[in-house]
Amino acid sequence: MKTIVITGASSGIGQETALVLTKQGFNVLGVARSEANFNRAKERILSENPNAKITFFVADLMQQREVVRVAGEINQYLNEKCNGELYALINNAGCVRSWYMTTEEGYEQQFALNHLAGFLLTYKLLPALVKANGRVIMTGSQSHKGIKVRWDDVMLSRGYNPLTAYKQSKLCNMLFAKGLNDRYANKGIRAYVVDPGLVKTDIGNKDTGSLVSFIWSLRKKHGVSPAVPAKTYAYLCGQEVAPEGLYYYLCKEKKYSKQVTKENADRLFELSERLCDIRYGEVK
Amino acid sequence: MNVMITGAAGGLGRAFANECGSRGYNLFLTDINEDGLLRIKRGLERQFDITVATKACDLTNAESVDEMLDIIDKHGIRFDMLLNVAGLDFEGGFTERERENLVKIVMLNNAATLRITHAILERRRPGKPFTIVFVSSLASMFPMPLKATYAASKRFLLDFATSLRQELKDEDVKVLTLCPGGMVTTKETMNSIKAQGFWGDATTNPLEAVARNTIDRALAGYSIYVPGVLNRVLSVFGKIVPRSWIAAVIYWRWKEARNRALHLNEQRT
Repeated sequence: MKTIVITGASSGIGQETALVLTKQGFNVLGVARSEANFNRAKERILSENPNAKITFFVADLMQQREVVRVAGEINQYLNEKCNGELYALINNAGCVRSWYMTTEEGYEQQFALNHLAGFLLTYKLLPALVKANGRVIMTGSQSHKGIKVRWDDVMLSRGYNPLTAYKQSKLCNMLFAKGLNDRYANKGIRAYVVDPGLVKTDIGNKDTGSLVSFIWSLRKKHGVSPAVPAKTYAYLCGQEVAPEGLYYYLCKEKKYSKQVTKENADRLFELSERLCDIRYGEVK
Repeated sequence: MNVMITGAAGGLGRAFANECGSRGYNLFLTDINEDGLLRIKRGLERQFDITVATKACDLTNAESVDEMLDIIDKHGIRFDMLLNVAGLDFEGGFTERERENLVKIVMLNNAATLRITHAILERRRPGKPFTIVFVSSLASMFPMPLKATYAASKRFLLDFATSLRQELKDEDVKVLTLCPGGMVTTKETMNSIKAQGFWGDATTNPLEAVARNTIDRALAGYSIYVPGVLNRVLSVFGKIVPRSWIAAVIYWRWKEARNRALHLNEQRT
């Protein structure tokens, strides 16, 4: 049976995607921030699909030590029960912040969770992905368009704007996916970004200030159910032959920003490797 | 430029460290949280081409500080700037708080700050200008019921810094007191600001801008920095309105905020 890891699996798009993937017969490993959250999610998934194979791991992926720890636990699970093979990794966990806040390393939190956490987790799970000719899927957004990476101040400590930080982190998802394909497509790995569209989730209400929370509450009313984007993840995981595109919306390829170039992807790869203190090239 | 930052593993300390790092300053960081120190050191070294030294230290403990000073002296480190960030508060009214916690506020915010300031002034780079920043608070401008000890400890810093500045003027030492409103450094501070409603949001200062402006102003020789226009207006009120009136208004406001905060926390759990 094929195994899929999905982060941010206890709520929103992640939970719905986890449910759909269990229905397709995948063995799903979810990562969630707290036990209380994942118990609630697990209960719901099992109530809708009593045969679901779902296991949860707890980690606050904002912090690099937590990413490294949970990656170790997942690798151990994969080695014991899945022949060391990981069929897909869905880097879905993400956040919105109203203010410039930092992680333990002093990294801006949206950049740290929305991009760096996935970058580091993918690296840690790369051998298992290579072994299974796996797929890596990022939860992106249409909002990656109309912005450039602020290379001289990627943590946005000069003039922080919550939306700019979010948009930039979503552009980073695109650049990371491109960078992965450039490096690992010949080894059988394919990376994608899913644009979920506007979805009714609580992302803008979690740990944000009154203003951001209020705006998001108004905006999400027009959003679709998380079941809609979940189909796109299911599509990308379900194809026998890995699709060739990079950016998908409603199970179809979509145009993306002109900023997604090899040059920018390489530059982000180099910067992210430095910020995580890892070298992708050294993975055997 | 060699800079010592106390409380460097916390939100404001990290913001200062990042700001100094982006300016190319070398750092000596201390905090009671050893693990946190190592992580911020790692983050800084990966981002900036600077030297970062760390030593975990309990500033309220003279022996612990002496140990750190020994290391500093053994390496012959001399400083150009000291950022006194370490400080703490415990929520609740005076009689509702743990006695020793109340004492701790003064021990760290005041006694320990004097200890480290004295020690680092002795370790200035000879013949060079030196800059000290004290992190006080907007709370230093008012008597603050329900935050009485904290506000008074911050007032101590403001008055002390103002006097020290005068004493050391001829020795080319600049002293700046930072008096910010709320800053979002943790989930707890975020909730506490949310609980204060409009005034919470309105008096909140952006962390990254405060860190940058503070260092700019300290180097330029300012004596006090109150970030935010509204906060500056409030600080003027603090000087002209009778203090007993202010205490009454603040008591009323914090009591409301505290009830809402309790309510928010109940909802969360």
